[in-house]
Amino acid sequence: MSETTYQRLKDLPAYHILGTGTPMCAGCGGLATLHEVYDILGEKCVIVNAAGCMTLLSVYPCTPFRGSWLYTAMACAPAGAQGVRDGLDILKKKGRLSQEEDLEVVVLTGDGSAYGMGLSATSGAMDRELDFLYLCYDNEGYGNTGQQFSAATPHAARTATSKGSLGYPGYKKDLFAIWAAHRPSYVATVVAAEPLDLARKIEAAGKLSGPRLILALSPCPTGWEYEPSATVEIGKLAVQTGIWPLKEYVDGKVTHTKIPHPRLPVREYLKAQGRFHHLFAPRENRGLIAEIQARVDRYWQEVL
Amino acid sequence: MYRIRFHGRGGQGMKTAGRILGSTFFLAGFEVQDAPRYGAERRGAPIFAYVRASKTPIFERGIITRPDLIIVADDHLPAIPGAGVLVGAGEQTVFLIHSNEKAALWKERLNLQGQVFTLPVLTDSELRFRGAACAGGAAALLEELNIDLLVEAVQEELAPLGSVLVEANCTIARAAYNALVEHRGAAHEGGPVSATEYTPPNWLTLPCDAPLLSAPAIHAPATSELTQTGLWRSEHPLIDTSRCNRCWWICSTFCPEGAIQVDAARRPHIDYAHCKGCMVCLAQCPTHAITAIPEEEAAAQGESP
Amino acid sequence: MNRKLLTGNGAAAWGARLARIDYLPAFPITPQTEIIETIGNWIDNDALECRMVTMESEHSMLTAAGAAAVTGVRVFTATSSQGLLYATEMLYTVAGWRVPLVLVNVSRGISSPITLEPDHNDVLAMRDCGFLQLHCATCQEVLDNMLIAYRLAEHPLIRLPVLVNLDGFYLSFTREPVQIPSQAEVDRFLPPFSAGSIRFRGGESLSEGVAVLEGSAYSYFRYEAHLASLQGLAVYEELGLEFGELFGRQYTTLECYRSEDAEIVFVMIGSFATKGKEAVDRLREAGAKVGLVRPRLLRPFPVSALRTALAGKKGVAVIDQNLSLGKGGILLTELSSALYGIPGAPPILAGFVGGLGGRNISNEEFFEIHKVVQRGVATGVCPAPQLLYTDEELRALRKMQSVARAAKTNRGGGA
Repeated sequence: MSETTYQRLKDLPAYHILGTGTPMCAGCGGLATLHEVYDILGEKCVIVNAAGCMTLLSVYPCTPFRGSWLYTAMACAPAGAQGVRDGLDILKKKGRLSQEEDLEVVVLTGDGSAYGMGLSATSGAMDRELDFLYLCYDNEGYGNTGQQFSAATPHAARTATSKGSLGYPGYKKDLFAIWAAHRPSYVATVVAAEPLDLARKIEAAGKLSGPRLILALSPCPTGWEYEPSATVEIGKLAVQTGIWPLKEYVDGKVTHTKIPHPRLPVREYLKAQGRFHHLFAPRENRGLIAEIQARVDRYWQEVL
Repeated sequence: MYRIRFHGRGGQGMKTAGRILGSTFFLAGFEVQDAPRYGAERRGAPIFAYVRASKTPIFERGIITRPDLIIVADDHLPAIPGAGVLVGAGEQTVFLIHSNEKAALWKERLNLQGQVFTLPVLTDSELRFRGAACAGGAAALLEELNIDLLVEAVQEELAPLGSVLVEANCTIARAAYNALVEHRGAAHEGGPVSATEYTPPNWLTLPCDAPLLSAPAIHAPATSELTQTGLWRSEHPLIDTSRCNRCWWICSTFCPEGAIQVDAARRPHIDYAHCKGCMVCLAQCPTHAITAIPEEEAAAQGESP
Repeated sequence: MNRKLLTGNGAAAWGARLARIDYLPAFPITPQTEIIETIGNWIDNDALECRMVTMESEHSMLTAAGAAAVTGVRVFTATSSQGLLYATEMLYTVAGWRVPLVLVNVSRGISSPITLEPDHNDVLAMRDCGFLQLHCATCQEVLDNMLIAYRLAEHPLIRLPVLVNLDGFYLSFTREPVQIPSQAEVDRFLPPFSAGSIRFRGGESLSEGVAVLEGSAYSYFRYEAHLASLQGLAVYEELGLEFGELFGRQYTTLECYRSEDAEIVFVMIGSFATKGKEAVDRLREAGAKVGLVRPRLLRPFPVSALRTALAGKKGVAVIDQNLSLGKGGILLTELSSALYGIPGAPPILAGFVGGLGGRNISNEEFFEIHKVVQRGVATGVCPAPQLLYTDEELRALRKMQSVARAAKTNRGGGA
């Protein structure tokens, strides 16, 4: 990433192109991601969306986009991207579309679609080596319907459908590895709270073609139960505790772009969110916290 | 039939208020209908809930257009056109608002024909019980309800929260009830809609419009900016320019809305028409140059859009 | 003059080729697969300039088709039966985008039980989605209606996707002589698609498929799509006339066969209607005043043309190759609502369900249908709905049932 335009924070765009006035919640980590990404990508893209919180970005007659947008359905945004990419390529080939009029095709979905219902369409798009960027705002649950657990929900989190004393019994699916197993052009994790890392990755992805995933942890004040003002702090804690490793996959190799050192205990991250409140009250569940810590420790032991 | 509407913002407990009042009516032997109503907007955006109650079965359904009682949880709402606080308000409509200003002032300001009452704005620590307060205030104005039924309804509706929170809600509901009980019976049941004297709907034959017009597509950029999400805000962030060291890349980048613009002199400016008041900027400002004041104070100082 | 033996699938492929399609998202399913294989071969041999992409499902296939149409290219795709149902969500969605494309459905009965044989429950399940529906009776009609379908879909007042339906096996795998028009002739009828306002382009803004969270606006958009669909009736008549002038084969929303002076009329859709015509000829020879009326369009439904064609008739037999479980024949329901309360409406409207899962309808059954309706006309009593199913069939089925049961009782005793 030595060739990056974004050496320092002050290299980040000072002008923001995503329209304001959207119906996303105050403090939405997903919206923060999108606006940072849109600034780097520019408006010459078509956002192909699947059902999720961000479907409500474009509610007639209002849209925050300066470029284009296509809402498909929950299962098939990558297929929509296929149609748009192919259509644009056909037009270019026939001389009906100039290079300047061409668009980057960007899939935008939440984790419900990216980890679950849309995975077949995603895998198919990678099989076909579709030239597209996939941005997943991962708020670790079905946020748009009131935060039920999804395949992206972390172990022990309380959601609307895992309200017991141990929270969600499953484990967060490793979407990064699922993508990497397809050997696409690029896979990266980001978080809006680390905008420089994010900007460099969007820049790197933008220079490549083929299937590219930007997997963005997107803190959600409503679903994760914290004050909206803490959105950036929670995102930073996810990185500092090692829960959300910032990494990228290029040419078959995974590189960690920000290694937390020293790594903060995971409890710092957990106790800041209402969805983990049951781990601390009425009694502290030391066993479960230790289990979560051990999984994070094991991850870093294996990769470093 | 009683037709009652609660107005608040997403996250302020209006659904709870509706349910508590609905249950109170139900315990008093009424047929009841209660429901919240919200659209795409999220926490902070105006929403409403409504309650119908009658001694006979209720056939009406959906949004109440001729309310007998309107309860407003947040005194910024009447100024927001999209909130629809005054829809259908007439002579028969009693208006109850959480405000530290006088009832007479609201009556004049909003040109209300019916009776107006106020409840004091809750303290910060009480704000999470706003739903119970609204329900308690509403119950006090209704002849057929009493404090015992109200408390029973609070206990029933909020039982999953645990006894500590239930008791706190009961305390707030009781206080609101007691503050208004001298006006018991102020709100009355409205009558049925006349089937003979009514304004007929102006039905038309819809023209077949060209697809450019008649497809649900938007052909203009960034039209979302027409929506003033600044109205969601209850706290008002202020940048103290003397303490701002112009590290705009922090506040401007972190603002999830993109509502902090940077001028040519590299100074950040908050777009108050769209800032939702999440206070990420305040939390992240390294020099603590951003502070928050209550929105009404800002309005009084002419700071708001 | 290029007259060739073509299957219905071959005719559909030729229709797509002559329409100079730009894009074909595909997914194989019997009995449709031959269409995409044929086009795929043409692409591989440079006989057709088109991009073909095999998707991972019909749901994705329809999504890609609609999404490509939003860029302004001419799109074709095809499916059948289970595939059509799997894509259901996207049929509704793509129609709501108000973009033109043509989808061929090769009709096949729906699971369960799964079958490969045809009936119309697949395509009729898509009745309400916003796609215009053209139903073909011959292989020639398949080719010709593919060309008309693009004109309909791309018509500035309509801008809706069109589904062209042909029956599995009876058309899809059946060869008939088909007149293949020259490319130059077709180009005169069907010029390149001009997308107008439908286009994703750098430097322009278009948000497509946006949410509408309010009943009044939603009502407007849905009803406008309905009004646009209704335009299809008059436009189809115009196009059918224009097509006739150019190619000598004229198309109207209804095929009326010997029905003008008929007292009793058969109403059916699809390829089995030609069986109906055969029966009409035999009955006419026997002195019966009988005819047949076949809607080519099912959506929009040619209500007014049907009223005219059926006014004054003594009896109508609707032969449904489908079954709405818990109600009966779908076409019967459609026709009843079209004729109710109309002056001159036929007093006898009788429903027959036949041809489910590809079951044959014999000449004798048509003759008997005629007799049942005749009796209804004489007595003034509308006959009860009748399933075309014989004693012999039930006996054969009972045999199968005894085998199905025996498998269980024999388990202990060995084979």
